[in-house]
Amino acid sequence: MTSPTRSPTAAGAPAGPVIEVKDAGIRFRRNRRGRRTFKDLFSGQSRRLRPNEFWALRDVSFTVRPGEAIGVVGRNGQGKSTLLKLVAEVVLPDEGAVSVRAGVAPLIEITGGFVDDLTVRENVYLTAGLHGMQRREIDERFDEIIEFAEIGDFLDTPYKHLSSGMKVRIAFAVISRLEEPILLVDEVLAVGDRGFREKCYARIQELLDGGRTLFFVSHSERDLRRFCTRGLYLDRGRLALDAPIDEVLARYAADTGA
Amino acid sequence: MRATGSRRYRQILWLLTTRDLKVRYSTSALGYLWSILDPLVMAAIYWFVFTQVFQRDVGEEPYIVFLLSALLPWMWFNGAVGDSTRAFLKEAKLVRSTKIPRTIWVNRLVLSKGIEFLFSIPVVAVFAIFGGASVTPGLALLPVAILLQAILTAGVGLIVAPLVVFFRDLERAVKLALRFLFYASPIIYSTHNLPAGLHTWAAFNPLSGVFSLYRSAFFASELDWYLVGVGAAMSVLLFGIGLAVFRRTERAVLKEI
Repeated sequence: MTSPTRSPTAAGAPAGPVIEVKDAGIRFRRNRRGRRTFKDLFSGQSRRLRPNEFWALRDVSFTVRPGEAIGVVGRNGQGKSTLLKLVAEVVLPDEGAVSVRAGVAPLIEITGGFVDDLTVRENVYLTAGLHGMQRREIDERFDEIIEFAEIGDFLDTPYKHLSSGMKVRIAFAVISRLEEPILLVDEVLAVGDRGFREKCYARIQELLDGGRTLFFVSHSERDLRRFCTRGLYLDRGRLALDAPIDEVLARYAADTGA
Repeated sequence: MRATGSRRYRQILWLLTTRDLKVRYSTSALGYLWSILDPLVMAAIYWFVFTQVFQRDVGEEPYIVFLLSALLPWMWFNGAVGDSTRAFLKEAKLVRSTKIPRTIWVNRLVLSKGIEFLFSIPVVAVFAIFGGASVTPGLALLPVAILLQAILTAGVGLIVAPLVVFFRDLERAVKLALRFLFYASPIIYSTHNLPAGLHTWAAFNPLSGVFSLYRSAFFASELDWYLVGVGAAMSVLLFGIGLAVFRRTERAVLKEI
């Protein structure tokens, strides 16, 4: 299953953490309509909180070793997705540091890179390329991707003519074939029919067995227990608990049940 | 192995640029023609107004070649800066989900519009042949002109793109400024035609220098090293400001979109 050219967790890879988050904090504006000044914009990093802002995450520190499977737990609006985006490095922390020392396959807004007017084939090459895959690698995996997405008859159809289910399938197929050492999953699997969802889970399991690091945000206790060994519990923007997944889920249940 | 650093940057830049061109040409029947039709129609209008209606005393002969040699590069600048107002907004989903060096969102516009410009150069050549314009040694400066314009356009784009995310009004302001700049730049006229007092100031519009370089390919007298020098300095300065603005606002931009 691992590609012949690259084996992400091969022996000889540094045993140090692949993800290191240190005192990370990020703040957002409370309302989008709030007044902005040029001064705000250029003030860069500062620990000061301006009126109308709140810390979505603060003082979050943890490290992840290669091969760990981590589930992020918390109520809505407690910073789960923000944390995932920090790890994907698509947003930058206002304080502290986030360092990710290996390639990331982000299953976040997976259909984001697809262009309506291009064909499925062109879109596969485009999206895989944007995530850093070389043309040759894509050639090698192209059939696999199409087969996984069950979309063989639509290769030269413009993307916009696909059904929404097909769109998600092809997107998942591409991103999950990136062969990156770190996999980020943000509840995308709630979409698609049951058969395909099961297929996605099987693929994630396969990647995990291949030694990938998983970073998983979900509300589903079952899925969390299925994949993850360690849990991060976020509450009011703080990392409330970092422990084995069962412990984290128990604490979460106790907090929400009370 | 994954490509890293500048190699990866170039790969992704190229990927997005070809994507833009593919989308543009696969969705319209006339494709390439549109990108030259627009400047051609404009050139025809100005040619008619200034040579048939008014008795022209600006520019050089043949006027159509004089016009096109600045109008086509203007289309590049105008197109890239105009599109940079939507550089992030249009690609928001992709920016939110993919970790790509962020300056690519601007530079890909400069590159794709630049390629369209290169494809439109044969049009000037055709008019030069039939209009009887002859090439001067200034043609050797064409690569310099292109490089200078790329730096200038990228610089302006890097300033505009992030600021529009916060100040949406800027989108319209930029369109207006571009229209003003069209007449404030030596496109339908030459800097020689300006009153003496304005000539010094015209140099601070870096497009004056850029167009002077382009035009020197056909009109030796259009080459003005003072314009080129000041224009080059201004372009590099704007590029520096652009990079600084972009770096400082990147964090906030990513949160906003």
